[in-house]
Amino acid sequence: MTRTGKLRESLPILCLVAAGLISAAFLTAYIERTKPPLPEGFGDDDLSMQGARLKGFAFGMEGLLADWYWIRTLQYVGDKLVNTKLEVLDLEDLRPLNPRLVEPYLRNSTDLDPHFMAPYSYGAIVLPSIDKQKAIELTQKGIANNPDAWRLYQYLGYIFWKLGRYEEASEAYSRGAQVPGAAKFLNLMAAAMKSKGGSRETAQAIYRQMYEEGDDTNIKYAALLRWQQLMALDEMEVIDATLAEFREKRGRCPSTLREIVPMLNTARLPDDRDFHLNNNGDLADPRGDAYQLNSSCKVELNAASPLPKS
Amino acid sequence: MQPLLRRIGVIAKNTFREAVRDRILYNLVLFALLIIAGAILLGELTDGQEARTIVNLGLAAMLFFGAFIAVLVGVGLVSKEIEKRTIYAIFAKPVTRSEFIVGKFLGLAVTLAVNVVVMGVGVSLALLYVGGHDLAWSIWPAVFLIFMELTVVTAVAILFSSFSSPALSALLTFFVFLIGHFSTSLREVAQGLGSSGAKFFFDAIYFLLPNLSHFSFATNASHGDVPPWTMLLGSSAYAIVFDIVLVAITVLIFRRRNFK
Repeated sequence: MTRTGKLRESLPILCLVAAGLISAAFLTAYIERTKPPLPEGFGDDDLSMQGARLKGFAFGMEGLLADWYWIRTLQYVGDKLVNTKLEVLDLEDLRPLNPRLVEPYLRNSTDLDPHFMAPYSYGAIVLPSIDKQKAIELTQKGIANNPDAWRLYQYLGYIFWKLGRYEEASEAYSRGAQVPGAAKFLNLMAAAMKSKGGSRETAQAIYRQMYEEGDDTNIKYAALLRWQQLMALDEMEVIDATLAEFREKRGRCPSTLREIVPMLNTARLPDDRDFHLNNNGDLADPRGDAYQLNSSCKVELNAASPLPKS
Repeated sequence: MQPLLRRIGVIAKNTFREAVRDRILYNLVLFALLIIAGAILLGELTDGQEARTIVNLGLAAMLFFGAFIAVLVGVGLVSKEIEKRTIYAIFAKPVTRSEFIVGKFLGLAVTLAVNVVVMGVGVSLALLYVGGHDLAWSIWPAVFLIFMELTVVTAVAILFSSFSSPALSALLTFFVFLIGHFSTSLREVAQGLGSSGAKFFFDAIYFLLPNLSHFSFATNASHGDVPPWTMLLGSSAYAIVFDIVLVAITVLIFRRRNFK
């Protein structure tokens, strides 16, 4: 049979295959359209087995399962943040998102691989805004499994500090400082917790250390935002005082913040920091976003700034 | 002695060639794609834990791909020769049945060794790509342990194939692979049950069947841990002992088998 003849013979079958595939694509779209949606809470159903029970039944690949739970945690929190209908999200309190599976996922991950540090770090930063006691428990579990990891003591100190439990924070930092190879700032933090645990200065020191010494990109970024937010609060206090002074002298509010820039040259910021102007010459926060003047003649963060507003 | 080794070597070499001709090594392409995709995608998914996840994923894929080859090829090694009647041509030559079995086993072991080494290189390259330079080297003892485990799975597959059909042999080997990994945990569960019958049964399984959890080191390897020499030697000796025992049983059965 010639090549053309063979092709002619196969053509009906090829047409049938092509038609079948096209119909299947249409049918898929049709089924997806007509399929009843799953209940709203389905995505939040805990379909996972307990990590500890999988131990010994994972073909020696407990680490891979731990990775899976870790990835699920990130996706779960990411989904919650992306799909939230809340207009304002308070990073200090994520409970309105109902992220109830974060702790079980992190627990499963660390049950399967007790030396996996990322879930402990993530738990120390994110869990306090969901369930403070669970955050402490997870970090303490991490310390029990990895007593040589000084960073876990730092996280525990951080959680206690956030809860205003400065004595316990100081103790956690002190214990961390005793771990061989621990960063020197842990001793300083232990002392700072006792003397001025609730001050903004201490808070800045904590976030600065977490940013500069951290090895987890997520945590570094979160700490940087918090550190810059606290620096911005320092700056905004001084700017507000200068605005009040301007109003007292001139009897009006400045039309823009540029008007008070010369007055700020003599103002002092903690650590002898300077105010900075962005490329447009506007008075800007530590990230470079211009501060805004509101109708009450007070300065506020730019709405576009990623710095936490609370 | 030398002709004996030479004859075994010839059978092993032909078994390896046959595996290559059967496109067994094509699985490496799939593995390579998996690892490359993993290396690229995991950075997004794991938030900086990609090196560790590549180790876990790579070693798991290595074990399961390897076990898949060991079972599917292992169960067909003997039956194919009988089915195609090539076994008559082989035994018409001065080759004994035991040499045939040992040669077949070694041939498949070499095939698996090539697979495991190429996969190991793939994982190491992926680790170098994502910056896990230390892990790229430290995974190799774990890779070696996986190879040793696969030799045991191969020996089990050949044993079953010496007296059973390929499908049943594959199923039985798969069960041994499962139980081999779970026997320690099942034994612990049985200890907690308090039933002396269950305890005896799981103790028997624990001691009689190969305990494949002795070769598991993937989770530790993902932290950059290297098994101590004592563990490597112990596990290797365990694998060799089981290989010898299983191949010996296979030879015993195969010697009595009637091909007519």
